[in-house]
Amino acid sequence: MKIWDLIRIANRNLLRSKLRTFLTVMAIFVGSFTLTLTNGIGDGLRDYVETQVKNIEGDSALFVRKKFPREDEQNARIGEPEEYKEIKEDEQGNRIDPNSIVVSLDQINSLAKEFPEVKKATPAYRMRAEYIALADSDKKFKVSLGMLSEGLKQKLEAGKMFDGKNQIILPLYLAEGFDEKVENLVGKTAKIGYKTEESDEIQIKELKIAGVATKGMISNLNAFVDAETAKGLYTAQRGESRDYNRFTNFTFLLNSSDEKTMEKVKNKLEEKGFTAMSYADIEKRTYDGIGILQTGLNLFALIALLAASFGIINTLIIAVMERTKDIGLQKALGMGRGKIFMLFSMESILIGFWGALLGIVIGIACGLVANAYLASTYLESFEGYNLFVFTPLSIIFIMLLVCTVAFLAGVMPAFRASRLNPIEALRYE
Amino acid sequence: MLEAINLSRTFTSDKVDYEVLKAVNLEIKQGECVAIMGKSGSGKSTLMHLLACLDEPTSGSVVFEGSDFTTLSEGQKNRLRNEKFGFVFQQFFLNGRETVFENVALPMRIRGASGKRLNENSMESLQAVGLDDKAKKSAKDLSGGEKQRVCIARALVGKPQVIFADEPTGNLDSKTGETVENLLLQMNKDLGITLIIVTHDEDLANKCERIIEIKDGRIISGN
Ligand SMILES: Nc1ncnc2c1ncn2[C@@H]1O[C@H](COP(=O)(O)OP(=O)(O)OP(=O)(O)O)[C@@H](O)[C@H]1O
Ligand SMILES: [Mg+2]
Repeated sequence: MKIWDLIRIANRNLLRSKLRTFLTVMAIFVGSFTLTLTNGIGDGLRDYVETQVKNIEGDSALFVRKKFPREDEQNARIGEPEEYKEIKEDEQGNRIDPNSIVVSLDQINSLAKEFPEVKKATPAYRMRAEYIALADSDKKFKVSLGMLSEGLKQKLEAGKMFDGKNQIILPLYLAEGFDEKVENLVGKTAKIGYKTEESDEIQIKELKIAGVATKGMISNLNAFVDAETAKGLYTAQRGESRDYNRFTNFTFLLNSSDEKTMEKVKNKLEEKGFTAMSYADIEKRTYDGIGILQTGLNLFALIALLAASFGIINTLIIAVMERTKDIGLQKALGMGRGKIFMLFSMESILIGFWGALLGIVIGIACGLVANAYLASTYLESFEGYNLFVFTPLSIIFIMLLVCTVAFLAGVMPAFRASRLNPIEALRYE
Repeated sequence: MLEAINLSRTFTSDKVDYEVLKAVNLEIKQGECVAIMGKSGSGKSTLMHLLACLDEPTSGSVVFEGSDFTTLSEGQKNRLRNEKFGFVFQQFFLNGRETVFENVALPMRIRGASGKRLNENSMESLQAVGLDDKAKKSAKDLSGGEKQRVCIARALVGKPQVIFADEPTGNLDSKTGETVENLLLQMNKDLGITLIIVTHDEDLANKCERIIEIKDGRIISGN
C-alpha cells in the first residue's frame, strides 16, 4: 500500500466518526495552543534580550572579580563559623581586607602581569554625577554615569564610539531630551556637574558628545565615558575617601578573542581565586535562565498534551474495536502487520497534526492580538518587547513534538490492531 | 496445485480441545470447481481457511504450487493471498462508507499497484459482474445480490488463480443467489480460475465438478 493511500484512508477513517475525532483533536488543540503560547513567551524574552543586551559588545573582554572567601567550598554550611583573616599592609602600603572581595589597582595590575594574554586591565571606576547639561543650553537632566573600558563597544544611533578621553556617549532618552534630532548633538560639548567627597559645591567637567546610544536595556540608563575620563572623575570624587582604590570589579582586555585563549585565562584566574566572565558568558547565563523559565512554562503545556494523548489512546482503541472486521478483511486480502500498524499510527499522527495546526494557528493569532494590545498598554515603556514571539523553528518544533506525542499515544492501539487474527476478526460479532 | 496433507486443526476454548479437522488429505487441480459440503459445525470453513492460508494448521500442511505454507514468511503469505487468491464471504465484508469502486480496488491498493493498473483492473472486474455503472455509488446503497457481486468483483480484481467462496449465497434469496452462483461458475469456465465453494445448497454443489463432503472433521466423500 502506498503511503499516500495510507494517509488518505486514515483521514477517511477519522472522518467516520466526526464528533469523536473532533473532540480528540480539540484536546490536542488545547495542549498545542498552550505550548505555542508558553514557548512564545520564552522566545519573546530571548528576542528582547537579544536586541537589548547585544547593544554592548566586547569579544575579547573579561569581567573579573575576586571570589568570595568561601565561594568554592562545596559544603560550606550557613551557620558555620568562618575564620577571620588579619588585615595586612601590602608592599605599596595598601590596606586591603582579605576577608572581602575588594582589590587595589596595584593588585589588579600585578595580577594582569601574570597573564601575557592581557593587553589592558581596567578597574571599574565608580562615578556619581549630579546632572548633565549642554554648554549652550540651560536644560539640566539627572544622569548616571557608566564606564566603557577599552575593547567594549556600544551600538550607536548617531555619531561614533569615543576615540580619546573627555568624550561621552549619551543614552537615547537623554539625547532626545536635548534635541529630537539626536544627530545634531554629536560633536557638541556636554557639562557634567558632580560633587566631591569634601564639599557640596558642584564641579563641572566638560565632555565632547561622541555619539548617542541605541535604545537598550542597559544603555537606557547610563551615559558612558571612557576609562581614562572615568578614572579622572573617580579620583576627583573619591580621592580622599576611605574606599579610594578599592575595586570590586575590573576588566581584562585580551589580545585575542579566540575562545581557547579566553578559556585559558578564565581557568587560570579561577585557580588564583578570581571568577571571570565574558560577554558571551553573561549572554549565555541570561539565555540559560530564559531557557529554564521557558522549559518550566512548557511543562504545563506538556501536561495538557499528556492528558490529550490519553484521549488519542481511547479514541483509537474504540476505532480498533469498531473496525475489527475491516482489519480482518484487510489482513485476509494480504495487508501486512506493518501496514495495519502504520494505518492506525497515521490516524493518531493526523489527529496530532490537526490539533497542532489548529493550536499553532489560533495560538499565534491570540499571541499577536495580545502583543498589539499590550504594546499600547502595559508594555508601552518596553519598546521593542513582544510578550509572544513565534519563530519558524519553534513552530516546526511544536508541530514535530505534538505529532510525536500523538504517534506514541497511538502505538499501543495500532499494535493491537496489527496483531489481530484475520479469521477471528472476521468472525467478530 | 493445492494440496492438503494430513491436515489437522484443534481449537482450544476454556481449556477444552476441539479437534475440528482430523488428518484431512485433499488435492485440488488447477481450474477445478470444487464444492465443500457438510453439516453446520462440520469444519468446512475451518478447512477453507487453512487452504486459503488464513489460518495455521495444528499439524499437517498445505502446499500450493509446490510451496509449503509452513515454510513461508508472514510477508510471503500476505503476498500469496493478495496476488493468487480471491475471497468471497457470506457476510460480504464491504465497507459501506466507501464507493463500490474503492471496495473493489482494495486488494490492488494493498498491493501498491499503480493508479492506471488499479483503475483498469477495477473497472474490468466491475464490468465482469455487470456493475460498472454503479462504480461511484456508495456500497451501502446496494441490494444484497449487488453487494455479493461487488465482492466477486473484488475477488477478481487481482486476477487470482483461486477463488475461495464461503457460503456466497447464504444471505441471498434463491433468485439472486442463482445470479451470483452463475457468475462464479462463469469465472471458473471462462477464466479458468480454480473455484472452491463452501455451501449448504445442494443445487449449487451439483453445478460443480466435484463435491467434497465433510462430517465431523473428516472427508467422507469426493476425494
Ligand atoms: N476460533 C475458534 N475457536 C474455537 N472453536 C472454533 C473456532 N473456529 C471454529 N471453531 C469450532 O469449530 C467447529 C467447526 O467450525 P466451522 O466454522 O469450520 O464450521 P462450518 O462447517 O463452517 O459450519 P457452518 O456451516 O455453520 O459455517 C465449530 O464447532 C466451531 O465452534
Ligand atoms: Mg462456515
